Amino acid sequence: MIKVLKPGLQTTVQDQGRRGLYEIGMPPSGAMDQFAFRVANLLVGNHPNAAVLEMTYIGSELLFEQDTRISLTGGNIPPKLNGQSVPMWETLEVRAGDVLSFDFVRSGARTYLAVEGGIDVPLVMNSRSTYTLIGIGGYEGRALAAGDVLKTGDLHQCKVAAGTTIDKSYIPSYGKNHEIRVIVGLCSYRLTEESRQAFLETEWTVTPEANRIGYRHNGQRLKFVEREQPFGAGSNPSNVTDLGYPIGSIQVPDGVEPIVLLHDAVTGGGYATVATVISTDLNRMAQIKTNEKVKFAAVNLDQALKIRREQNEIFNRIAESLSS
Amino acid sequence: MTNSSLTTRYEYGGDEFVFVQLSEAMSLEANFKGIAITRKLKERNLEGIIDICPANASYMVRVDPDILHPDDLIRELQQIEDSMKDLEIEISSRIVDVPVLFEDPWTHEAVMRFRDRHQDPNSTDLEYSARINGYNSKEEFIQAIDASPFLVSMIGFVPGLPWCFQIVRQEKQIEVPKYVRPRTFTPERTFGFGGAFAVIYPVQGAGGYQMYGIAPAPIYQKEQTLPDFQDSIVFPKQGDIFRYRSITREEYDTIRSQVDAGTFTYQKKEITFTPQQVLEDPEKFSEMVLRRLYHD
Amino acid sequence: MSKSIIAPLPGVFYRRPAPDQPEFVREGDQVNPGDVVGLIEIMKTFYELKAEEAGIVEKFTVDNEAIVDAGQEIASLK
Repeated sequence: MIKVLKPGLQTTVQDQGRRGLYEIGMPPSGAMDQFAFRVANLLVGNHPNAAVLEMTYIGSELLFEQDTRISLTGGNIPPKLNGQSVPMWETLEVRAGDVLSFDFVRSGARTYLAVEGGIDVPLVMNSRSTYTLIGIGGYEGRALAAGDVLKTGDLHQCKVAAGTTIDKSYIPSYGKNHEIRVIVGLCSYRLTEESRQAFLETEWTVTPEANRIGYRHNGQRLKFVEREQPFGAGSNPSNVTDLGYPIGSIQVPDGVEPIVLLHDAVTGGGYATVATVISTDLNRMAQIKTNEKVKFAAVNLDQALKIRREQNEIFNRIAESLSS
Repeated sequence: MTNSSLTTRYEYGGDEFVFVQLSEAMSLEANFKGIAITRKLKERNLEGIIDICPANASYMVRVDPDILHPDDLIRELQQIEDSMKDLEIEISSRIVDVPVLFEDPWTHEAVMRFRDRHQDPNSTDLEYSARINGYNSKEEFIQAIDASPFLVSMIGFVPGLPWCFQIVRQEKQIEVPKYVRPRTFTPERTFGFGGAFAVIYPVQGAGGYQMYGIAPAPIYQKEQTLPDFQDSIVFPKQGDIFRYRSITREEYDTIRSQVDAGTFTYQKKEITFTPQQVLEDPEKFSEMVLRRLYHD
Repeated sequence: MSKSIIAPLPGVFYRRPAPDQPEFVREGDQVNPGDVVGLIEIMKTFYELKAEEAGIVEKFTVDNEAIVDAGQEIASLK
């Protein structure tokens, strides 16, 4: 059992996500940084889909009521065990009575805590991920609060020795200027030629409205091609006949602020989507903070699939290094 | 019937999504085409498909590109589309009686609260919508919504929200703009209209559609205590036909107490139809649907 | 020795609890550990920024409603 002494700003239970339910309007939810999430589980010998805690900007203060092993990955919110600094990206031994707490965030935005066996909350539609908008999954469908008590589950596959770590070269570093790769398309024909250029050339600033639903970016106004709107599309030039929004898709309501839709986003609506963040860079997006800079770089599908294969390869090498 | 008005565009949504636009404009034809293709795709049971999400005049498929390359999927989709030139498919779905209390006190309060965000602050949403669609009164406008059923053309935004497109000839379609600036509040179960679509808001929240009334029965229930929600927390399915029936306050209260008691079920009938049946004569089809729902 | 109050997270910094209410603290005021000196709005929630040490607020180094970075100095104490 783990007792929540202080919840942090927004700490939720997450796993791979709730897949296959787009057609009923259910977004996948799940860990925003799937790479950090998967490595966290590896470091404690968990099943790949064991649930973890995702902490944003401010870490939780947690009291462990039994001996176990944990790992912390993702954004650098420096962890402390009983007030002593402990490393991230490493298997850590904790004893009953130990208190885990965190310093102020240094880099990145989201830290993942995996515990041997996984966080045990009821499966809702095959996932333990929290979707706070309608209050399902995770711990009572909400972010953690002080006084909550978490149970751990039985999704433990193998013992990993305390002190096990991954090769430093595999640990991502999180800066303040980000290049996020996208495939331009979907309804990008709605933007003027100049605005399609401007979208890729502008250095965007992430606004305070940046959460699990989406990230808004401030920079300059984009323009849509003037036209007589097709029937059913709505009156604003940024409107299209309501359609599905891929995870990572970027829309620019009224041309004002590009919004990247993320894991808890609405699944569809009436705004023209102009590009989609590639899957590997969604993980990097998860570690971007408000007020940091983003440039969108266009890649084609072949490049995106190559980057994806390279990422998979890195993950496989990490998994191999831990099993040997 | 012709497919001449529709041109299909295939687009990548990152490395995991394929987005297919069937038409820029909404039409029953485009929607049926999407239903037909996505249902065929589902039957093929391809390995590597994570999500098949039909929308109004487009659809989207999510794949695991390590198993199914998006280009291979696109070839498959083109082949499906070529194989059904004339929409010769049968759609099996449900006709459902969906009661709505128009001009109810709860959405009226929200209507009044957000007048400053509306194109016409001096009218209600109903008065404004009736006027711009050429109706003499809001009563006539409500009558037009009540008279012909709607096709559930897409589910999404949030879990369970049905976009509904009325089964009438194109020139009789109602079209209204969204609020100038979105509201921060919309009551749960609000019956609204935006663009060419009627919707019911499953949960309370922000929104930009015109507000006309409230449904007494839920379309989304996460506790799954009502009989209609045993299999899914979401009631509507794409391809369903909803008749939005104008009810009195008395009937509203009766249904609310049935919902609270856990006994409410939607009045519904199974139906199998072809797109041609609908497209050739929407009025005749609508009459048949209502007869079947209430009298057969 | 000068001390600082640091923003632990990014967001919009507010010196007042609400637009029509007075500032939490003013330059020259004494603060004690735990005193709220401002709010930081992020992800539609408000985080109370508290003093960790006692001191006199010498100067606010960011403006009201400015967007601040995590780790940025908000005020200096003496």
